[in-house]
Amino acid sequence: MSQPSQSRATRRNRMIGRFRVARRRTAVAALAAGFAVLVSSCTVANSDSLGGSGSGLRIVLPEEPPTLEPCESSLTSTGVVVRSNITQPLIERDPKSGDLSPLLSTGWKRTSDTRWTFTMREGVRFQDGTAFNARDAAYSIERAVNSDLGCNVDGYVFGEDPLDVEAVDERTLTVESKEPDPILPLRLSFVEIVPTSTGTAKKVRQPVGTGPYEIGRWDTGLKLRLDRNKRYWGKAPSYENVTYQWRAEGTVRAAMVTSDEADVALKLGPLDGAGDRGVNHPNNETTALRLTGEEPPLDDPRVRQAVNYALDKRGIVKSLFSGLGKPAGQLVPSGVLGHNPSIKPWPHDLKKARALVKAAKADGVPTGKQILMVGRHELFPRVSETAEVLQEQLTQAGLNIKLKMVDESAHLEYQLRPFVPDAGPVALLIQHGNQAGDAAFTVDQYMTSKGAQSVMGTKGFDKVIEEAGRKSGKQRQKAYEELLKQQNGDITQFAHIAHMRGVVALSPNVSYRPNSATNDELRLADIRPAG
Amino acid sequence: MITFLRRRTLSSVIPLAVVVLGVFCLARLTGNPASLYLPLNATEQMRQDFAERNGLDQPVLSQMADYLGGVLRLDFGESLRTGQSAGRMALDAFPATLQLAGFTMLIAVLGAAVVGSWAAFKPNGLADRVCSTMSMIAASVPDFWFAIVGIWIFAVTLGWLPTSGVTGHGIWILPIATLVVRPFGVLVQVVRGAMVSALSSPYVKLARSKGADDYRIVTHHALRNAAAPALTVAGDLTVGLVNGAVVVETIFGWPGIGKLMIDSILQRDFAVLQAAVLVTAVAIFVLNILIDVCYALLDARVRQAAKT
Repeated sequence: MSQPSQSRATRRNRMIGRFRVARRRTAVAALAAGFAVLVSSCTVANSDSLGGSGSGLRIVLPEEPPTLEPCESSLTSTGVVVRSNITQPLIERDPKSGDLSPLLSTGWKRTSDTRWTFTMREGVRFQDGTAFNARDAAYSIERAVNSDLGCNVDGYVFGEDPLDVEAVDERTLTVESKEPDPILPLRLSFVEIVPTSTGTAKKVRQPVGTGPYEIGRWDTGLKLRLDRNKRYWGKAPSYENVTYQWRAEGTVRAAMVTSDEADVALKLGPLDGAGDRGVNHPNNETTALRLTGEEPPLDDPRVRQAVNYALDKRGIVKSLFSGLGKPAGQLVPSGVLGHNPSIKPWPHDLKKARALVKAAKADGVPTGKQILMVGRHELFPRVSETAEVLQEQLTQAGLNIKLKMVDESAHLEYQLRPFVPDAGPVALLIQHGNQAGDAAFTVDQYMTSKGAQSVMGTKGFDKVIEEAGRKSGKQRQKAYEELLKQQNGDITQFAHIAHMRGVVALSPNVSYRPNSATNDELRLADIRPAG
Repeated sequence: MITFLRRRTLSSVIPLAVVVLGVFCLARLTGNPASLYLPLNATEQMRQDFAERNGLDQPVLSQMADYLGGVLRLDFGESLRTGQSAGRMALDAFPATLQLAGFTMLIAVLGAAVVGSWAAFKPNGLADRVCSTMSMIAASVPDFWFAIVGIWIFAVTLGWLPTSGVTGHGIWILPIATLVVRPFGVLVQVVRGAMVSALSSPYVKLARSKGADDYRIVTHHALRNAAAPALTVAGDLTVGLVNGAVVVETIFGWPGIGKLMIDSILQRDFAVLQAAVLVTAVAIFVLNILIDVCYALLDARVRQAAKT
């Protein structure tokens, strides 16, 4: 009797077992199928909509523009795409000569101490078809400078006071500043012109302008394509379209040009492997140590002079920058109004540096007190090695240097007011770029006693700077030359290192001569097919 | 199984809440983002306007309340850097990372199962020694070095593959080859160790005595039992990849979540950072649940324990 019941139980158990196995296999199969579906598509997620660049120009940048908002074009990553390509200013600055040339404005003149009058170009249309006139120019200046948008160009180029802007008629614009401003046209060359239909409530990501190219397609994170503007008022650019990609690694950007995946690669280092394709160019950047002068031992001018004598600028340029640069004696590079060609870099004289430190010590200056040297990762190629060399050279001079490398945000806390409290004596490794072409943009920030990036200065020197800013023409040049010399002698806030040079990789298919503005404003109309 | 899944999901809620709060607090400790977004010579008024526009002038508790309210509505706010929806940016970036991680682990697991089993079949034999040495090297090579050398050889010198990018079939090879090296090396060693142990166990000896051939012994008896430790390690490695293959994404221009997170940290883009961390954390919890389910499918003891 027990035999049949036992076999029924066995059969039932077997069936349950088979069912469980089948269920497990189904589950595994379902998991595997889901996994396969997830990973088996051949295109990268969100990339299927990309179009090819066709026969157009291919450019690889170090980073994606966060926005194409024209009033943010003083940000390098935005300006390099937007300026003079999608949108245009009233006036353009020639990066080689420093001269201003007409663009959307055909002429301008100073009609009073504080007022400038501009004449608008006729026959210009925006990419959306609307005609350009003085109202658009007035609106763009109001939007960038006087609105609550918080535009980058406002803080970069203009002061706290608003501008009084008026479109007198279709072709005439007046701009009035509160104080006399001899370089107002230069400042306005940073304001990109947009139509009055552009919003003021919020920044725009994809603007309309008058430039030779318009936005074709922007696949965020992947590529940006600009198409030739068929309504462009000037000479048509050489390429039908331009595709931008971005790669953070310089070696990859260089490799893209050498393997014919890109025609132009920007912001390369000397060791990124561009080889014969690499072309070096001035980039208006100057590296220096900025020295605090309120605490010992850096409050003693002899110690600050010792820092200058201790640095082997020539050796650093030769060995660390691969010769791409020039030892610097001032913060303003040549080609910028106010540069003083008579200022020579401090000579490298370790004996003199040691003697100055020794003399200061004999007078009771605590020269053994630790000085914090702050550097920033990725400030320029081989920055870590450079900082270590600087530390070693200053140590040899008899100073006690502690090196701290930080990221951009932490570096800004040392660089900008209000500075890090209780940081002690600080030697901040900086790289300053004057892309505006006038020494005022350097001096006001770095040398006035209350400048945003200045840690030293005197009231007397502030007055000298203020007076220089009011001058124009040759007098202005002379005044800035003098004050830069005075800075080195009386104040010595800086130990200058080098005027830097950048590297651009160019494919043999293109013809382009990079200049000091290339990294900030790559004018596509200047790039042509080779031959 | 449903009870098991429910219990596992509920136990994930507390760690997820800790992540949500932790990322908010830690992000605020990294400093004020105003300096990064305003020009160097911005006036005090501009700084105040920036803080007001982005809610950074509010007390931290008020900011946290806004943030938590946003998380519940799945609204993380806008990116400081791009002005786009932070949640959208994180969700757009995540699939690209998931694809990369999925392909990588599929290749690593299958390859390690074959190579590890082969090495374990004759311990201390030639195959075992070669595999062990190669897997040790593979597990130790830094991925950035492998990536750069790979680009140099296969893209620049030979011209066989693209250097980087996201279009075309060839773009998968270098990123995946770079990513797969380390997991493959680690997994080969784990599978080998587990297989050596399994192949010397009594049930394998019994199977041999019953006349089972080598293939059947490996695939039907030993490998199944050696799978559990490999699954544990593979799970950890997958979590690491889902968390963002930062180096590979940066070098190859892969629009994934690892690069997005690093950029957000460097740019103090709090909204994007918070969204990206939360998306990743949810994915990791889901992945851990899947791994537990796999355990339960592989091992009856786990299923039994889950029931009690």
